[in-house]
Amino acid sequence: MLEFRNISFSFPGRRGAVEVLRDVSFCCKEDEIVAVVGPSGCGKSTLLSLAISLRKPSAGEVLIDGRAVRGSDRRVGMLFQQTTLLPWRSVLENVELGLEIRGEPKDKRRARALSLMKLYGLGGFERKYPHALSGGMQKRAALAQTLAVEPTVLLLDEPFAALDAQTRVVIQNDVVKICRAGKRSMIIVTHDIAEAISMADRVVVLTQRPATVKKIYEIPLSRRAASVADVQSTPEFAHFFKEIWDALDISVTGMAPGVDAAA
Amino acid sequence: MTLTHRLLVILGRLAVLAVILAGAEIGVRSGALSELFFSSPSEIFKALITQWSSGSFLQDVGITVLETLLGLVSGSLLGMAIGLLLPQLRLVSHVFEPFLMVLNGIPVIVIAPLFILWLGLGIPSKIGISVYIVFFAMFIPVYTASLRLDTTFVDALRVMGASRSQIFWKVIVPSSLPSVYTGLKIGSGLALIGAVIGEFVASRAGLGHMILYASGTLDTPTLYLGIITLAVFAAALSFAIDALGPVLVHYRFADEK
Repeated sequence: MLEFRNISFSFPGRRGAVEVLRDVSFCCKEDEIVAVVGPSGCGKSTLLSLAISLRKPSAGEVLIDGRAVRGSDRRVGMLFQQTTLLPWRSVLENVELGLEIRGEPKDKRRARALSLMKLYGLGGFERKYPHALSGGMQKRAALAQTLAVEPTVLLLDEPFAALDAQTRVVIQNDVVKICRAGKRSMIIVTHDIAEAISMADRVVVLTQRPATVKKIYEIPLSRRAASVADVQSTPEFAHFFKEIWDALDISVTGMAPGVDAAA
Repeated sequence: MTLTHRLLVILGRLAVLAVILAGAEIGVRSGALSELFFSSPSEIFKALITQWSSGSFLQDVGITVLETLLGLVSGSLLGMAIGLLLPQLRLVSHVFEPFLMVLNGIPVIVIAPLFILWLGLGIPSKIGISVYIVFFAMFIPVYTASLRLDTTFVDALRVMGASRSQIFWKVIVPSSLPSVYTGLKIGSGLALIGAVIGEFVASRAGLGHMILYASGTLDTPTLYLGIITLAVFAAALSFAIDALGPVLVHYRFADEK
């Protein structure tokens, strides 16, 4: 279980401290998928960088299974928006990377990477270099790279933003399946409301900067539906979409009341 | 490219070469081209025989080749090492950056006499000059590439628990290899220039010395012999560096499908 407890974060700017996050608290239990949505630039991704210790919170704690996160943590894996496949390594060598860093013996890590690649539909591409793979396959390979070290907490930072619409739905489906099968905690940061509703069990809506938790929605759709496409064709999907859209909209525009009349 | 196309290209190149050689031979023999300014291929070949039999040709070539290769290798290694390490030490790199830029801006020709002063008339001063310019040819692309490194790779490795040295060897060094290749390409030409400039300023042997001496004694065939020999060596070096490409950046040359 991953928990953000009373997290605040600010960094020094030219005119005093810039407050990014203010007293943000929520958690992601085992075998649960939580989506974080918010207006762009609100500090969604900053939350994840706190969980992987790339930055330190100004106040509050990030806890995994009750223990505060310090330094890089073996239980956490992260799928980034940009590719993390090293272009000079074959796909197989990329999938092995995490295990190699942990000092696993070569034959062991190779066997693990090979079986993961087969599982994720990357069989036959072991010796290829990342640039020879399609965007969807690169994402799948990056996922295999992240999951090869078997993290119990999986963080996704707008991971599918660069994919075309159809590939995105296929990969979203795969990720939900993989995550549920491993009983992991997964947090996905996204600006795509449809993605949040169709993948997550709960959606955390953040306000504009300094971001606070505006509202948390329990979404019962993803767990009981067979696929992401199925979720999106339910009437509840439209209902949640409107609700979350409205929740975001107020903080997005941030216009003073009466601005229409003034214009 | 089709086979006929490639065949025509080769034939065309041979034809151009034949025209130049025949033109020079006929031109000089007929007196249309002055023997003081031009040389016929047969005269240049005679000069080669003379130089060869006295043993000085091989010695001159050997010395210039040695200076160039040692300058290229040590200058490249130095440029690589500092180009990779400096970005790791932000404070040190900020302190040293302007000094390096100023040093890089000084024309090598005016630095050359200093190296002669420090290292003498022999081979070491020529290697020194060569190292000096090759260093910057390698340092600048490697340093710039390290500064512009995609931080996502570094972040991703950190999340996987990589240490600083693992990040250095698994990300920073391999990501610099395309720039190393660029540095070698530029540096190989400069290494030769450095060696020859050193020989021009002051020397007792080497191709630069041979050219300068021939020029001083109005020995035009030997002058051309020196220039042609340098050109052949420069071309051979450039081919050798090109062949290193698929070794250094194998993934860029790997099959697309």
